[in-house]
Amino acid sequence: MMNPPALEENQAEGNILVWLTGFAFLAAMIGIFIYVPTERTEGVIQRIMYFHVPSAWLSFFAFFVVFICSILFLWKKDREWDIYAHASAGIGVVFCSLVLITGPIWARPIWGAWWVWDARLTSTLILWLIYVAYLMLRAQSSAGSMRARYAAVLGIVGFLNIPFIHFSVLWWRTFHPQPKVISNEGIGKGMDPSMLATLGVSLCAFTLLYFLLMGERVRQEKLKDEIDRLKREKLYSS
Amino acid sequence: MDNLGFLFAANAFVWGGIIYYVYTLRLRNRALEKDLDLLKKTLSKEG
Amino acid sequence: MNLFLSQISAIVWKDFVTELKTRELFSAMFIFALLVILIFIFSVNLSIVKASEVGPGILWVAFLFSGTIGLNRSFMLEKENGCLMGLLLAPADRTAIYFGKLISNFVFLTIMELFILPLFMIFFNIDLIEHLFPLLFVIFLGTLGFCALGTLLSSLASNLKTREIMLPILLYPLLVPVVIGVVRMTGQILAGEPLSEMMNWIGLTTSFDIIYIGVSIMTIDHILEE
Repeated sequence: MMNPPALEENQAEGNILVWLTGFAFLAAMIGIFIYVPTERTEGVIQRIMYFHVPSAWLSFFAFFVVFICSILFLWKKDREWDIYAHASAGIGVVFCSLVLITGPIWARPIWGAWWVWDARLTSTLILWLIYVAYLMLRAQSSAGSMRARYAAVLGIVGFLNIPFIHFSVLWWRTFHPQPKVISNEGIGKGMDPSMLATLGVSLCAFTLLYFLLMGERVRQEKLKDEIDRLKREKLYSS
Repeated sequence: MDNLGFLFAANAFVWGGIIYYVYTLRLRNRALEKDLDLLKKTLSKEG
Repeated sequence: MNLFLSQISAIVWKDFVTELKTRELFSAMFIFALLVILIFIFSVNLSIVKASEVGPGILWVAFLFSGTIGLNRSFMLEKENGCLMGLLLAPADRTAIYFGKLISNFVFLTIMELFILPLFMIFFNIDLIEHLFPLLFVIFLGTLGFCALGTLLSSLASNLKTREIMLPILLYPLLVPVVIGVVRMTGQILAGEPLSEMMNWIGLTTSFDIIYIGVSIMTIDHILEE
């Protein structure tokens, strides 16, 4: 059980993180709506990018964390890693959904249709389905080592699928703008420095948000564990 | 400038999504904490 | 190594004997695949769409759906009679159980596919004979990928309460790359292109097969652990 001083310390750390995240988001908002110039060809709608791309990055990062934690769980068999994998998958799915919502909103005025079967949009959708299935698997099975092992296997299998999805959907068809931030000429050559800076701030804000949410979700799972433990203790003692 | 509505909608969805998620997380945490407190209280009363 | 092979062959042999006795799996898979093809023929207007364009997709959807029935069956049969417990208690390697199941799933599905192909040829009025070897190669790659991942996930799903529902939900998104690949390749083959024109797809599906068999070998111990 957590002793009070440690709890307080955690709280303080959490508060710093909350402030940092809030500040980063404020900076990102200022950057997006005041500082950055409007894109010439796409107009004001292009500002969606500063949410769309960081959300995509965040969900991808979250799924990568699921992958790593799944491997570590199968290796060490420590409940801690299972908690991290679960928490990260949940956050990943939330931000993947945001990508899937902002994507069509951006696509509608630019491509003229809500949904085009474009490579990256399609792979995001498949990724979303994989991790929703992951969360369903977790919801279906009762807590315990079986659920953790199965989820870990699926976490590994699902992440290894990403390169296959990427290439298969890419060869299938694509309309997406070629990646501008990391292009063949080097990082950030295709973009105005002010846009790059804004995107960077926005990425930072979202990454901080990830850690904030992670802390919250992990705490939640631990609380659940604690309650389960107490209940079981009570059940067997009486 | 006529695409302002789309930009606004996308922003609203992002913020709405994030805030709703944080809100439900907080809510669940509070419920869990309450549950834990209750459990501890009943345990200490009986023990 | 010899012991390992004999363990695998024992499992495959057991599956075959059961199947020869009951004959329930194969007939169900075959009829189901046929039904899927028929339903697609009714839902797609073949007088507007060219048969060679929609044909490959329909063929593979039929294979996948009936293959899922086979997968669902393969571990459930073990589960129902407590056979899986026996298999796990036997001094056999978990990997041997995986390979045994993989091979029997693969063989059942392949036999079913070989029966479906002539019917497909008649229904869609497509001549498969002249492209038979490349087509069989593509079917081999696709079926192997399907069975490699499907055997792993069905061994996982068989322990869930809602296994029949969860298996497709878990399996289909992961199979998307292979499905796109084999449907593309089948279409190109039917259009008369040689295999050398589609090396990228062959590479993709082959590496999919290899990687997922490898991952299954590494993780099957954690799934079949009671």
